[in-house]
Amino acid sequence: MADPAIVTQNLTKSYGHVRALQGVDLEVRRGEIFGFLGPNGAGKTTTIRCLLDMIRPDGGTVRVLGLDPQADPVAVHARTGYLPGELHFDENLSVEKALHYLNALRGHKADWGYIRLLSERLDLDFRMPIKHLSKGNKQKVGLVQALMHQPELLLLDEPTSGLDPLLQQETLRMVKQAATQGATVFFSSHILAEVQEIADRVGIIRKGRIVEVAETGALMRRALRRVRLRFRDEAPVDALASVPGVTVLSAGDGLSVLLQVEGEMDALIKVLARYTVVEFETERPSLEEVFLAYYEAQA
Amino acid sequence: MATIFRYSLRRFLGQILGWGIAFGLIALYLMVLYKPMITQQAELKTLFDAYGETMMAFFGGTTDFLSPAGYLDFTFFSYIPIVAGIFAVVLGSGLLVADEEKGTLDLIMAHPISRAALFWGRTLAFCAATLAILALTWLGFAAGIPAAAWDVSAASLLLPHLSLFVVLVLFGAFALLLSMVLPSRAVAASAAGGLMVVNYLVTSLARVNERLEGLNNLLPLKYYQGGRALEALDWQALLVLLGVAALLMVLAWWRFERRDIRVSGEGSWALPFIRRTARRRAQRA
Repeated sequence: MADPAIVTQNLTKSYGHVRALQGVDLEVRRGEIFGFLGPNGAGKTTTIRCLLDMIRPDGGTVRVLGLDPQADPVAVHARTGYLPGELHFDENLSVEKALHYLNALRGHKADWGYIRLLSERLDLDFRMPIKHLSKGNKQKVGLVQALMHQPELLLLDEPTSGLDPLLQQETLRMVKQAATQGATVFFSSHILAEVQEIADRVGIIRKGRIVEVAETGALMRRALRRVRLRFRDEAPVDALASVPGVTVLSAGDGLSVLLQVEGEMDALIKVLARYTVVEFETERPSLEEVFLAYYEAQA
Repeated sequence: MATIFRYSLRRFLGQILGWGIAFGLIALYLMVLYKPMITQQAELKTLFDAYGETMMAFFGGTTDFLSPAGYLDFTFFSYIPIVAGIFAVVLGSGLLVADEEKGTLDLIMAHPISRAALFWGRTLAFCAATLAILALTWLGFAAGIPAAAWDVSAASLLLPHLSLFVVLVLFGAFALLLSMVLPSRAVAASAAGGLMVVNYLVTSLARVNERLEGLNNLLPLKYYQGGRALEALDWQALLVLLGVAALLMVLAWWRFERRDIRVSGEGSWALPFIRRTARRRAQRA
């Protein structure tokens, strides 16, 4: 099996008295889409910038595509596409000249036809001066430059930031496509819906520590869910309350009941089989609720 | 490194043309002005004598201001390190940090170029831009030789420019080094600019005050020849200045290789006392 795309062990970084990373342990597998979740200031950008040797960690080890970014940053950068969270270009260049320059920095490795193809998908006007572009259009240029050399690893810091919903979807499609073609995608976000939509696994960072790494689906399955029930006769509240993992949240009009179920549903289903259920509705928790649950639990 | 060098030089084009054409025109004007001045040398001598020694010290301290070397020094090369030094200090302090503060360095550094290539590509572009400005200046002086009717070759006029080039590169390198260790470009440019002015004052006043000589010996402008280089270039002084400039560049490079690249909102590069004050204010709020 190939080396993981990213490995960090006990990564620490402080800015003066602020401890931005407090022992981050991460492993991102090759070919997966890994969503890196956390609110602003949790350490997402600091982690990504350590992976690219923009900042030097105080302690711990980092390996990107099997390489030490501090020892060989050029090799890491050659195989990586990066979209910064705070994206700025030389404002005096046109889109075309900016992409030409960035491609020149890559030794003209990117195929210009592919750059045009990506730009067309994002409806990007090559002739526009960067200084006249909206934030969303600048973000498109950033995305094109990150993808143009078809890198093995994509490091995307808030990739859909500033984009309208249609372009957010197109961006996510392009990211998924890159992963389908074999790229590993590591992207940070605080927009949980997009992580839920495309990430194979999710890492949650809080105050510079990883508090959870899990398959996106498993993380959601593991969480609490709500069940709304309507019975033909009086709701068997006591019987339901006695089921392990079930909490009765409200009993409503006597026929309806709202439950909170932790873990598997099997025991509840078996109890319900004894009654006539008119309506059965479950609410899957959004990743947002899962995320908040982590924060509330550990706060 | 070649891509960085070419791109940086292209970015400096406006400054090269602005400074270079302005200096070139001044140079040409001064050469055209030489002959009319020589016809009034008696009046000028009376005027300059009236200025006094201290005043003249700020214009190179020359008394022979009608020889080609003295005239060049008095009218241009004695004070131009301070004027052109503004260009050197502004460009040097912002060579890397300006992009860092604008946030554009992050993206560039994510590309497969080493920090060394980025640093030296830009530093060499700065040297080339300085050279280009001085080449335009030289062109102005050289074009004015017939008007001044001097018995000097255009090639010999390169010597004062060479002396000026080295001192400007040194000021730029100093500003670059300060930008690597101080919290912002503005602070680095102000500090480097301030020290440059202090250097000019000390070197000028040392011509009339012997007590300043000890301090003056440590300052770069002491070893700057200016117009006097037309008569005989002091290669030893030139190489010393060049060596110091190279040392400052190497120190700046060493620092750049080891430091974090800042982005706005991440980390704090404030000086410790500013950080403490900000923390106290935050606590009070």
